Amino acid sequence: MALKEDIFWVKCPGCGGKFYCDRELRHNREIPLRCPFCQRRFFTHESSEIFE
Amino acid sequence: MAKDLHTFLGSVKEKPIYFETVKREVDPLSFETAAILKHLQQQKRNPIVFFEKVKAVNRGPSIFPLVDNLFATRELCALALELPPEKAGLALSLEFSKRENDKIEPVLVEKGKAPVKEVIIKENDVDLTKFPAGRFHEMDVGPYFTMTDIMRGEGGFYDVSFVKHLILDKKFMTVSLHYTIRKHLLYILEANEEKNRPTPIVVVLGHHPAFFLGAGALKELGNNDYETIGAFLGEPLRLTPSETWGEDFLVPADAEIVIEGEVIPHKREIQNPFGEYSGYYQPQCLMPVMEVKVITHRKNAIMQQVFPASSGHFNLGSIPKEGSIYNEIKKVAPEVTGVYLPHSGSGRISCYVSVKKRREGDAKQAGLMPFLLSGQIKYVVVVDDDVDIYNEQEVLWALITRLDLSRGVDLIKNMPRYDRVLIDATRPLDRPFPAKNTVPREVMERIRLSDYLS
Repeated sequence: MALKEDIFWVKCPGCGGKFYCDRELRHNREIPLRCPFCQRRFFTHESSEIFE
Repeated sequence: MAKDLHTFLGSVKEKPIYFETVKREVDPLSFETAAILKHLQQQKRNPIVFFEKVKAVNRGPSIFPLVDNLFATRELCALALELPPEKAGLALSLEFSKRENDKIEPVLVEKGKAPVKEVIIKENDVDLTKFPAGRFHEMDVGPYFTMTDIMRGEGGFYDVSFVKHLILDKKFMTVSLHYTIRKHLLYILEANEEKNRPTPIVVVLGHHPAFFLGAGALKELGNNDYETIGAFLGEPLRLTPSETWGEDFLVPADAEIVIEGEVIPHKREIQNPFGEYSGYYQPQCLMPVMEVKVITHRKNAIMQQVFPASSGHFNLGSIPKEGSIYNEIKKVAPEVTGVYLPHSGSGRISCYVSVKKRREGDAKQAGLMPFLLSGQIKYVVVVDDDVDIYNEQEVLWALITRLDLSRGVDLIKNMPRYDRVLIDATRPLDRPFPAKNTVPREVMERIRLSDYLS
């Protein structure tokens, strides 16, 4: 594939918006993810829905 | 008078086909500039767009106007290299390839004579949120700059490459360096990080378009890109000492805006999603972070950007490669007549090659070369020279009517990143094949529409 496949989708615990991340962030506990829709910072384990 | 963005805009401003001004205030962070550019794109209109009144990231009035679409058509790219618009096809790609191998040594000008030093902003006055940086696509995580960066490598060479930056706050932004095909800046950064050293970095947010076309040239690591950019400008690039490192790091004297800073070793921050050239969002990931030390700009500076996944973005990917690919194919397959990286493949992923075929095998020989020369090209389609490779309808027609599926498709496996597909859509020469419909050429030339239709 021309496109990056090693990603996972995550749901923001704040606004419920869904976006995707590089696999390297799946177990990251140092730098929180950033929701592109509401700017909330959170860790992957705080999300109620992960699609991988 | 040295070439700069103002001299170029002055040369195209009077022609509405090339230049439009948006006088009403727009907010780039709320996708408004992107929406205007997208509407124009959907109407197949691609002028340079000058946004006179724009909001900054902090939602106050921006200190700069904004310009986009400088590379939106091949004709504009030809004009940037002082070629006539009718030379915007293969001639432009070949001219690009020629200049890529030329060099013009830069010249040094005093700070006092450098337009980019007219305004100098330092330390606590630095505020990136006063810039009109925007979001372009719905899932973009924040405001981005989309122009070029400069770093110095071991031995002192200057590397200039397109890099995007996510603005984090007044003084910090990410530096988007990926492990993709051209990773010169990443090499320089990693060499410094190994020694726990910060990496000096300069961001250029506006210059003559030939400056940026030169930055897109496919040169080896270690090339002094300032000399290559001079060849694209057709005159020496004027340089001046930076505020932060003096003569140890020279910056373009005729730039619109220069941001000087340091990439902090081993510091990473979240960047993306960001809608990229492929038409999809790049995933959220970690990227290095730079701290801004100084901003210098002209009094009448204009901030430049490239709308991602637009025709301008595609041209910046395609035009730098086509001429070199053509020249390299010509060495092994003199039958080649044209090379085009179409916008449907984002100017990077697919490649059309035309050949004046003399024997079976010519097409495949010509079609293999693009894979070796660009790591991004995934599909190559080879057609006969009676097909206009710049017209995708004609290429598809050749594919549908001439491709013999049993022997015209080759899957090339075990290449880096992904498998490749080579499609030979040329007419067979070793068996009878129908002739293409044509209206007699002599009649086409004799009959002029204006003589028959008012």
